[in-house]
Amino acid sequence: MNTSLIRVSVWIYLAIFFAYLLGPLVIMSATAFNSPAFPSATPWECLTFDWFSALFQDARILNGIKNSLIIGAGTVVLSVLMGLAGALLLTQIWPKLRATYYTIIIAPILIPGVVLGISTLVFWDRVNRMLGLGPDSALSSGLFLTVIGQSTFIASYCMLVLVARLQRYDVALTEAALDLGATHAQAFRKVLLPFMRPAIASSAVLAFLASFENYNTTTFTFGEYPTLTIELAQKVRYGISPAISSLAFIIVVLTVFAALANEALIRRRELVAAARRKATVAELTGGLKLPGFLSGNTAAVLLVVMGIGTVVVLGTAATYRPDQCIADVREQKRLEAEKRAEELRARRDAERKEKSTAEPAAPAPSTGAGNNSGSFGNVFNPGTLQDGATTPAPDAQGSTGSGGNSGFGGVFDPNALQGSGN
Amino acid sequence: MPRFLKDFLNRNGTGPGLVMLGLVLFWTVGLIILPQLSMLDFSFRPNLPPPEMGGPKDVYTLENYKYLVYGPEGGSQAYNAVDLMVFFRTLVAAVCVTVFNLVLCYPIAYYLGQTKGNHIRVLALMLIIPYWINEILRAFALRIIFGETGVLNTILTGAGLFDTPFDFIRNDYALYAGLGYAYILLMIFPIYNVIESLDHNQIEAARDLGAPWWRIHWRVVIPYAKPGISSGCTMVFMLSAGALAAPQILGGPSSLWFTQLIYQQFNDSSDWPQGAAYAVVLLVTCVLLVLGAMRLFKVNMGDIGK
Amino acid sequence: MSAGVGVDLENLWIRFGDFVAVRDANVNIKGGDFFSFLGPSGCGKTTILRAVSGFLEPSEGNILIGGKNMKGVGPNKRPTALIFQNLALFPLMKVWENIAFSMEIKGASAGERRKRADELLEMIALEGQGDKLPSELSGGQRQRVAIARALCAEPHVLLLDEPLSALDLKLRQHMRTELREIQKRVGITFIYITHDQGEALTMSDSIAVMRAGVIDQIGDGKTIYNDPATPFAASFVGENNVFRGKVKQVSGDRVLVQSNRSGELLARVSTANVGKMKEGDSAMIFIRPEAFELARTGTEGDHYVSARVVNEEFEGNVFNIFMEGDGGKEIKVSLPNHGQSFDSHKGETMTLRYDVRNAVAMPAGVLATE
Repeated sequence: MNTSLIRVSVWIYLAIFFAYLLGPLVIMSATAFNSPAFPSATPWECLTFDWFSALFQDARILNGIKNSLIIGAGTVVLSVLMGLAGALLLTQIWPKLRATYYTIIIAPILIPGVVLGISTLVFWDRVNRMLGLGPDSALSSGLFLTVIGQSTFIASYCMLVLVARLQRYDVALTEAALDLGATHAQAFRKVLLPFMRPAIASSAVLAFLASFENYNTTTFTFGEYPTLTIELAQKVRYGISPAISSLAFIIVVLTVFAALANEALIRRRELVAAARRKATVAELTGGLKLPGFLSGNTAAVLLVVMGIGTVVVLGTAATYRPDQCIADVREQKRLEAEKRAEELRARRDAERKEKSTAEPAAPAPSTGAGNNSGSFGNVFNPGTLQDGATTPAPDAQGSTGSGGNSGFGGVFDPNALQGSGN
Repeated sequence: MPRFLKDFLNRNGTGPGLVMLGLVLFWTVGLIILPQLSMLDFSFRPNLPPPEMGGPKDVYTLENYKYLVYGPEGGSQAYNAVDLMVFFRTLVAAVCVTVFNLVLCYPIAYYLGQTKGNHIRVLALMLIIPYWINEILRAFALRIIFGETGVLNTILTGAGLFDTPFDFIRNDYALYAGLGYAYILLMIFPIYNVIESLDHNQIEAARDLGAPWWRIHWRVVIPYAKPGISSGCTMVFMLSAGALAAPQILGGPSSLWFTQLIYQQFNDSSDWPQGAAYAVVLLVTCVLLVLGAMRLFKVNMGDIGK
Repeated sequence: MSAGVGVDLENLWIRFGDFVAVRDANVNIKGGDFFSFLGPSGCGKTTILRAVSGFLEPSEGNILIGGKNMKGVGPNKRPTALIFQNLALFPLMKVWENIAFSMEIKGASAGERRKRADELLEMIALEGQGDKLPSELSGGQRQRVAIARALCAEPHVLLLDEPLSALDLKLRQHMRTELREIQKRVGITFIYITHDQGEALTMSDSIAVMRAGVIDQIGDGKTIYNDPATPFAASFVGENNVFRGKVKQVSGDRVLVQSNRSGELLARVSTANVGKMKEGDSAMIFIRPEAFELARTGTEGDHYVSARVVNEEFEGNVFNIFMEGDGGKEIKVSLPNHGQSFDSHKGETMTLRYDVRNAVAMPAGVLATE
């Protein structure tokens, strides 16, 4: 009884934990398909794909993606190279220097990203001035500074990944290659590098993702080249829109896709290895058959399901027109608003009458009413919806959501609603 | 040392060896050591327009550090209460986030590390996926949930728990949840890695000897997992204290994070030396705190980063 | 196949800081020989091998291969090929790619490489296994692939660093014969490192016995076994009973030793030590377990030791009989199995006769402690 109690509580804990971990992502993804201009999952109004087209018409987002890709590529190359060199040196450095050296190359992981950004900016600014270069030289370009700043700590991540693999490398393999006549460069290229290839690939992916999502360092160094993350941060800070949710949804789907594909690949490799071990020489030369690739591979099955799902969603998106639904909701909201306006007018009339008949009463009931309608606050004006779909979101937000997202109270006044609505 | 160098080039070949050394030197000296020293140096200088740099006015001064403590010269207050408050609140909040994460993640890490089965791979995958979603987007997701008209408020008011929406953002709940959320994985993985290598027989043996579950953890698992725990705590603390995105997106309008002050000095007031001085203070304090905690809990530096 | 060339070590010293790994080694290895360095682990034999293959610069002295000084010549430029202790097969390359790696380095086409690899695979009796990965082969097969890979480089000298140590006993014995056959077929010089005297004795034309960086003795297997030069060589190679004592009388190559516990013993001075022993010196006499003849008391010949049967151990082809002489002196005797039993003699005092030619005397020194 005691153990089953423990098991149940473990599962409950896991459920809560993963709800905390994944819930926000799921809800955020859902808001990408809901029509209100403020990203929300409740109440559900209309299924729409408009936020995706809004996203792809946003020039700043697209430019950010371009910059992120360029910087990501530069960071991957530089970090993997430095990480590999650092890892190789770590395995053969003089023992007395080892601890100091390790502290130095591991430190960037622990130094706050803000500090790295500042020190990069300050240092290269000084180098730039010492070389007598102008403010538009290559050394003060946002691309260069961002790649350099990010690589400082991303190289440490790469180094950790590469060292883990390198520790399993047998130096005798390099010696064997040398002994068989290879030069050092040949031994490196033909023996060590192929051995390191999986780790290099994973460190490259890690470096790219870390670069792509970096904010703290980049925010000081980007200059004229804002990355996607920088653009996102600007948008999120100054007003949010479901177009960002749609981008988030795309990233979530891509990530899950990549993770599942990776799992399926690993599983496939295991199956191949197992099959080779059992295979006869004839099968080896004639090519292997892999029975049960799908049956033994949950990740592959999920991947296929997800692929089908994507096709279905894309198909729906191409044919589905949410206009009617949005129009219905708009009509419904207009009616509601009118009804509330009517009520309010009636109440005011009543108040006025009361005022005129009796002594002035406390206005408490009216504020109470305002708060009760708070849950409709996000349903504000259908007009913004159209704005948001055609022009970049933050501006639309900034202008209509007076006082930011916490200031929707101002829209509660039905008169204001009508005024800006139609 | 030349002997080491000679052996090194012998072992790796002259060409590849030199390339390797060059890259490492560029990284350690050019990207790590010199920029940090440069920032330190910069923090002791007055804020001058570029033409006057290196001129007669460019002398070392403690002004920027004094500013953090005493505020602007001729200011109305004896101390720079605002900035100091922000500074200490940042540190205290970062410690709280670290402790919260440790308490939340230890059971998960233990479960993942000591349980066998296929579902562990799936759980690990589910752990990793959120981590690869952009930091900004994760904060954005929490903002959707914690916003005044967000999911949480809709549910809570809908269920009748509150009659008015609760402002999670102004009360910093969103910020703490966001910081905790952002670095969960960095807490779980180091602990998981260590606990995974703990021989399950040790736990069985302890149980066999009649130890209750909490004593097993206190006497067997936690001492064994100490390197992982300290590694995870160090990372989470440093990253929370140095976080910028989460406070900017999830922080209330009245509560600043110390990094936001630094950001303002660089971007809004264009006072780089002042910003550099604040950055140095943040870095040095955090490092000292971590080192102090490591001494307190008797952990070695070499265990960090494993 | 290339012909084997000689390898000479001249006054070779190798130091690591203060530690002397190899002390003044002088060895001449004839071309086409199977030469073994035999010694316990840590004696410096692997260091010598690494110096010959070029992974280590000697601190002093010269290494000559085929008469050419190898100073400053890198491992990839030497006419040697090394078989590593763990084989060091490239795990990500197929078997045939492993074998033909040295040709790949030289830029040979895939077709040429494949053809040569197949030839070598046939030679090592692994036809058709070329497309497997090394991890898919058994230990003995991997062993042979490593040899084929080294031979493919057409070295003049093949260096083998305890290549059989990871194999199980049966396979190890089989590979001994196989290695010897391969060596005879290709005709190149083999330099073999081992701590297993059985391997060294069965395969080698010549053996160097090493101890703590010093070469104690060089000679063929029979010489090393029957006529050891030092107490270490005598006790390390094969089993031996040692009798310590003082020299009482020397005449030519005969010496009479007053042993500490077993009375006066007459012995032959080992060849390397003739003329080096004089009266009053500490001496050691070695008599191998199989050199004793067990007889009833009262049938003593000229040279004998008396001892009591303590225990017997049956090993299949031989009986090992453990005896105790005066003062608790332990003596081991090995007798071929003729179906007899010594159980009934337990506790009985018997006579151990020996032939003086099989009792080897030399100045006292360090023994190999196992």
